[in-house]
Amino acid sequence: MTTVSEAMPSLAAMQAREATVRRFALTDAIFRAATRFSAILVLLILGGVAISLFVGSWQAMSTFGVSFLTTESWNPVTEKFGALAPIYGTVVTAAISILIAVPIGIGIAIFLTELCPRPLRRPIGIAVELLAGIPSIIYGIWGLFIFAPFVQTTIQPFFINLFHDVPVLSSLFAGPPYGIGLLTSSMILAIMVLPFITSITKDVFDTVPAVLKESAYGIGCTTWEVTRRVVIPYTRVGIMGGVMLGLGRALGETMAVTFVIGNAHRISASLFAPGTTISATIANEFTEADGELYTSSLIALGLILFVITFLILAIARYMLMRIDRRTGA
Amino acid sequence: MSQMLSPDMTIAAEAAAKVKIEVKNLNFYYGQSKALKDITLSLPERSVTAFIGPSGCGKSTLLRVFNRIYELYPNQTAEGQVLLDGQNVLDRSQDLNLLRTKIGMVFQKPTPFPMSIYENIAFGIRLYEKLSKSEMDGRVEQALKRAALWTEVKDKLSASGLSLSGGQQQRLCIARTVAVKPEVILLDEPASALDPLSTAKIEELIDELQADYTIVIVTHNMQQAARVSKQTAFMYLGELVEFDRTEKIFTSPREKRTQDYITGRFG
Repeated sequence: MTTVSEAMPSLAAMQAREATVRRFALTDAIFRAATRFSAILVLLILGGVAISLFVGSWQAMSTFGVSFLTTESWNPVTEKFGALAPIYGTVVTAAISILIAVPIGIGIAIFLTELCPRPLRRPIGIAVELLAGIPSIIYGIWGLFIFAPFVQTTIQPFFINLFHDVPVLSSLFAGPPYGIGLLTSSMILAIMVLPFITSITKDVFDTVPAVLKESAYGIGCTTWEVTRRVVIPYTRVGIMGGVMLGLGRALGETMAVTFVIGNAHRISASLFAPGTTISATIANEFTEADGELYTSSLIALGLILFVITFLILAIARYMLMRIDRRTGA
Repeated sequence: MSQMLSPDMTIAAEAAAKVKIEVKNLNFYYGQSKALKDITLSLPERSVTAFIGPSGCGKSTLLRVFNRIYELYPNQTAEGQVLLDGQNVLDRSQDLNLLRTKIGMVFQKPTPFPMSIYENIAFGIRLYEKLSKSEMDGRVEQALKRAALWTEVKDKLSASGLSLSGGQQQRLCIARTVAVKPEVILLDEPASALDPLSTAKIEELIDELQADYTIVIVTHNMQQAARVSKQTAFMYLGELVEFDRTEKIFTSPREKRTQDYITGRFG
C-alpha cells in the first residue's frame, strides 16, 4: 500500500466505512435495549411475586393480625391458623444444618486450598460441586428410605444414650426414635448446603495474597496457624457471605424436607420429634386447602418465608460486597 | 567461574567476620527451567549483603531458597547446599518452621496480618514462646522500638495493622520479623513500594539492625544497595557474575557486565 492511498482513502472506502458505522450503531442500540429489558424484567418479576404474595395473604393477615406469627395451633377444621410451628421448624432446621455444614465446608475448603495434592484438587472440587446438582427430590427419597432408617437405628439411639444424664441435652435428644423429624431434616439440609459453603469459602480463600501467607509461614507458622490466624480472619466476611447463601438455601428447601420432617404442626423440645417447615407445609397442604382463609394463610406463610430469605440474602450480598471492596483496594 | 571463589573468600577474611550463610553449588529449577546456575558465595555475619541485577536474574529466587519459602509451591526444586552456621538447610531433616524462626523475611509489599498492631507482633512470638502479659508487652514494645515505629503507634496498639500507612506497615513487618529473634533477616525489595521518606527510614533501620543481625537485601535500586550494604552480589541470568565489597563493585568492578549494569548501559 502506498502512502498516498493511506493518507486519502477513496470515496468508496469512506462510504463503506460510514455504512459499517451506521450498522454498528443500530446493532448497538438493539443490544442495549435487549439487555435493559432483561434487567428490568427481573425487577418486575420480583415485584410481581412480592405484590401477589401480599395480596393473597391479606385475608389471613387481617383476620389473625400479629397473632398469626405467635400462635402455634394450625387447625383447618376450625379455621384457626398460626405460623409459629412452621417458622420454628424452618429456623431450627436451617440453623442446625448450618451448624453441621459450616465446619465441614470450611474444612473441605482448607484442605482443597492449602493441603490437597494438586492432582486431587480438581476431582474433589468437582465432586463437591456435583452435590449441588443432585435434584432435591432425590435427597428426599434417599432421606426417607435409606437415611431415616439409619438415623432411627443408629444415630438417635446413640444420642439418647449419650445425653440421657445431661440436663438440657437430654430433653433435646429425647423421645422415641422415629427416624424422621427435625434432626434428620437438618442433616439432609446440611448435605445440600455443603457445596455452596465449600465453593464460596474456597473462592475467598484463593483471594488471600500469596505474599501474606508467605510472610506468616516466614515467621515459622504451621499450616494450621496460617489458616486459623491469617487466612480465616482475612476472609471472614466472605465466609459469612457463603454461610448466608447456604442459610438462604436451607430456609427455602422444600422437597427433601417434606419427605423427612414428619409434617406435624407442633413445637417440641426434642429434635427427634416430627415438625414442619414453612415450605413443607405449603407443599403438603396446598391441594387440600379448601377455604379461602386456609389458602390465604398458606400464602401468608409464603410471604413470611420470602421476607426471611430476602433479608438473609441481602445480608449475604452486602457482606460479599464488602470483601470485594477490601480486596480491590 | 572458579576465579570468583577467591575474592569471595577475601571478603570474609577482610571483614574478619564469621561466615553466617555459605551457599555451595546451588542450582534452582522452576519445573524444567533453571533459574539459578551453580551459585557459590558466603555471607559474613552481622553485615548487610545486597543482591542486585535486572529483573529475572534470580536474586529473589536465591533469597527464597534461604528460608525454603519456595517449598510452598509445587515444582520448585533446589539442588546444592546452603549452610547456615555449617548446617545444610536444604537437608530433608531440617524442620521448616524452626528454620523460618531463625531466618526472617520481609517482602516487597507490606503484609500486615489482619489483626491489631500489637497482635501482629505478639502472634509470631506466641508461636514459640509462652510469655506472661507483661513480658509480652515488653517484647512488643522492644520490637516496635527496634523498627523505629514505637513513638508512632504506642497510643493505638489495638488498631488494625491495616490502618497504618505503607511505610509504617513495612516497619511493622520488620518489627514482627525482629520480634521472633531471628539470626538472619531477608529483605526482598523492602522499599520498592514506598515513598522516598519511608525508604530513608527503612534504610536507616537496616543500618542499625546490622549490629545484631545478618541481613540480605534484594534491591532494584542501585543507590540503595550502595548506601546500605557492605558487600554486593551482581547477578545476571541466574548466574552470580560478581561478588565483592560494595565500594569495589560500584567503583571498580572486575567484570564488564557489572560495569555495564551499574552505569546503566545494560541491554
